Amino acid sequence: MHKLVVDLGFGDAGKGATVSHLCRTAGREVAAVVRFNGGAQAAHNVVTADGRHHTFAQFGAGTLHGVPTHLSRFTRVDPLALTAEADHLRSLGVPDPYALLSVDRRALLTTPYHAAANRLREQARGGARHGSCGMGVGETTAYALAHPENAPTAGDCADRPRLLRRLRLLRDRLTDELGPLPAPPVETCAEVYAAFARAVTLTDQRDFHRLVRRGPLVFEGAQGALLDEWHGFHPYTTWSTTTFDNAETLLAEAGAPDGALRIGVVRTYTTRHGPGPLVTEDPELVPLLPEPHNDHGRWQGAFRVGHFDAVAHRYAVEVCGGVDALAVTHLDAPTRSRGLRICRAYGIDGQLVEHLPAGPPGDLVRQAELTGRLLRARPALWDTPGRDPRRWSEAITALLGAPVLLESAGPARQTLRSAAAVAGPGPIG
Amino acid sequence: MGSGNWSTDVYDAATRYRAASGTGAFAYSDRVTNSAPRNSWRAHQSLDPHGLTVRESRDSAEHPTSLAISVLFDVTGSMGGVPRVLQTRLPDLFGLLLRKGYVEHPQILFGAVGDATCDRVPLQLGQFESDNRMDDDLGNILLEGGGGGQMTESYELALYAMARHTALDCHEKRGRRGYLFLIGDELPYGKVKAREVRDVLGEKIPRDIPVQEILAELQRKFHVFYILPAGTSYAGNREVLSAWRGLLGQNVIELDDLDAVCETIALTVGLGEEAIDLAQGLADLRDIGSAAVDSVARALR
Repeated sequence: MHKLVVDLGFGDAGKGATVSHLCRTAGREVAAVVRFNGGAQAAHNVVTADGRHHTFAQFGAGTLHGVPTHLSRFTRVDPLALTAEADHLRSLGVPDPYALLSVDRRALLTTPYHAAANRLREQARGGARHGSCGMGVGETTAYALAHPENAPTAGDCADRPRLLRRLRLLRDRLTDELGPLPAPPVETCAEVYAAFARAVTLTDQRDFHRLVRRGPLVFEGAQGALLDEWHGFHPYTTWSTTTFDNAETLLAEAGAPDGALRIGVVRTYTTRHGPGPLVTEDPELVPLLPEPHNDHGRWQGAFRVGHFDAVAHRYAVEVCGGVDALAVTHLDAPTRSRGLRICRAYGIDGQLVEHLPAGPPGDLVRQAELTGRLLRARPALWDTPGRDPRRWSEAITALLGAPVLLESAGPARQTLRSAAAVAGPGPIG
Repeated sequence: MGSGNWSTDVYDAATRYRAASGTGAFAYSDRVTNSAPRNSWRAHQSLDPHGLTVRESRDSAEHPTSLAISVLFDVTGSMGGVPRVLQTRLPDLFGLLLRKGYVEHPQILFGAVGDATCDRVPLQLGQFESDNRMDDDLGNILLEGGGGGQMTESYELALYAMARHTALDCHEKRGRRGYLFLIGDELPYGKVKAREVRDVLGEKIPRDIPVQEILAELQRKFHVFYILPAGTSYAGNREVLSAWRGLLGQNVIELDDLDAVCETIALTVGLGEEAIDLAQGLADLRDIGSAAVDSVARALR
């Protein structure tokens, strides 16, 4: 059975560890990890049992178990960042990372021109920054929406004249709009992109159909459902669909719409990287819950920590169209931090709010209005299941309406174990 | 999310992909010199001057005002790691010329010089390229590492090939000379020998040509410079320097830091094109964070 993994928070919940675990336990049966949104700005930290650490950005989190990665047409590909990541994987003992990578020719290319434009725009916003990662992923999407015929794609990397044409057009358009971009010459970029095209396998729709039939796939989401472009808290969102939608579209196109297990990932507490609503934020938790792999980002801002925000995570489940199972990470946190609580309702403008109703996709005015309310919200109803991790799993199951199939604990190292016995249903896979 | 952990530098990426494809910067050289007996060594076919017709630097729609720049370096043992250093600095040269606007459309040719009296591969010449394809040429250069130990190399043979077997639009169409840099630490032989021209280029000439004569011919097309870097066998050697000064006058550059070679070339071209004065050029180097400012200042002052 295919498995779809989506973060029910603002990112950083533990998708990497979850995917890595699914690949490790299933061994060779997993045909590939499929990325279905986002780009090089993803950062899925995995620490293996023997202590190797890697921040997965464009490679799937099953790479250290030898599972190939497929970057679908919904991803944004940055070959410059990709090769640095490949080098690090090689240093961890993956002999030929590029051999494990296939990329849909239609995937958009994120270039130094996008990144430079992204940074110029974010700087111009001053105090009203969106919390962008500064890598140009959103800019890539924006450009492709404005110029669908001319946006450079992974497939163009194998076609030098077309690539050069599109890169020049891109650079010139962004330069016209923003002024000179601090970015390398087009010819130099094209050379690297050609090397990228030679190093990885470029694929089309038919190849993906074959992949779907070869064996079960693990779909690894990037970022989190609460950052979704349509359902997130506008404008503090990512320009990407972070719910299950893209994964299900890919499966439907390949003629395999049914039979995928939808797994939502949450921590025992709620975090956010960069600005935007975080109703349960509690600065006192920061020293108690150290974050070894999530630094203050130069472009993104601080890493923020709050109590488990059941209101927000239930909203995430709703905008995702429901989940079949949960992975709960950081179950050691309640033990280490006695005051950790679950927020069940907000007070907003004197009213008790337990439920944030999901709106139709595309209504950004409504989403911005919701953001405004959340910025005025304060936790109103909360309690704690105590220090026993099992009580936390049970509470989260009850709140989010799905069994916990995977649990993990450990501040630096995620040791995931199948929690089927705790949650009830039989083991997955 | 929000990694930023992985470098997005384009030049790093180029090096990494090259390493990943199993090819070091001098893949051809490493393969040939590690796997074949010396007497079977040959230049890579893309660089072999035998049967050479003409290496062209031409204008195109993309590059309407091409400017030919040639960099020929000594690949004999006495030059040690110079070619490898040069290779790693290459992106800087091209980037610097373009970024700082010294030249709008540079076309760069790389070549290598050995000793025709004793080397298997005394001359190698790439093509003029407008982009990083010149990387491929550089990657195919055979670093023979021989040399005769008599403080002479066959520079004159290279000068002959460049004088008689190049065609430059900058010169033919616009009357502007290209640039030719020789990087080495030894002297040329006194004459272009007809026998060596036949052996190396497969071409008959009626008589030997004195080096001054072929140089005069070459200088109609190119500003010719000689760079003697530090870290080489005869660096700072008065005899070598005075011999080249006799041939090239002020166009002999002593360089105390090999890492500064690309910056030196870029600024020399910038000065020659009157795009900058020296102070401006040094300021540009500071601007891009170059570590070579002082060396270049000493070399060009």
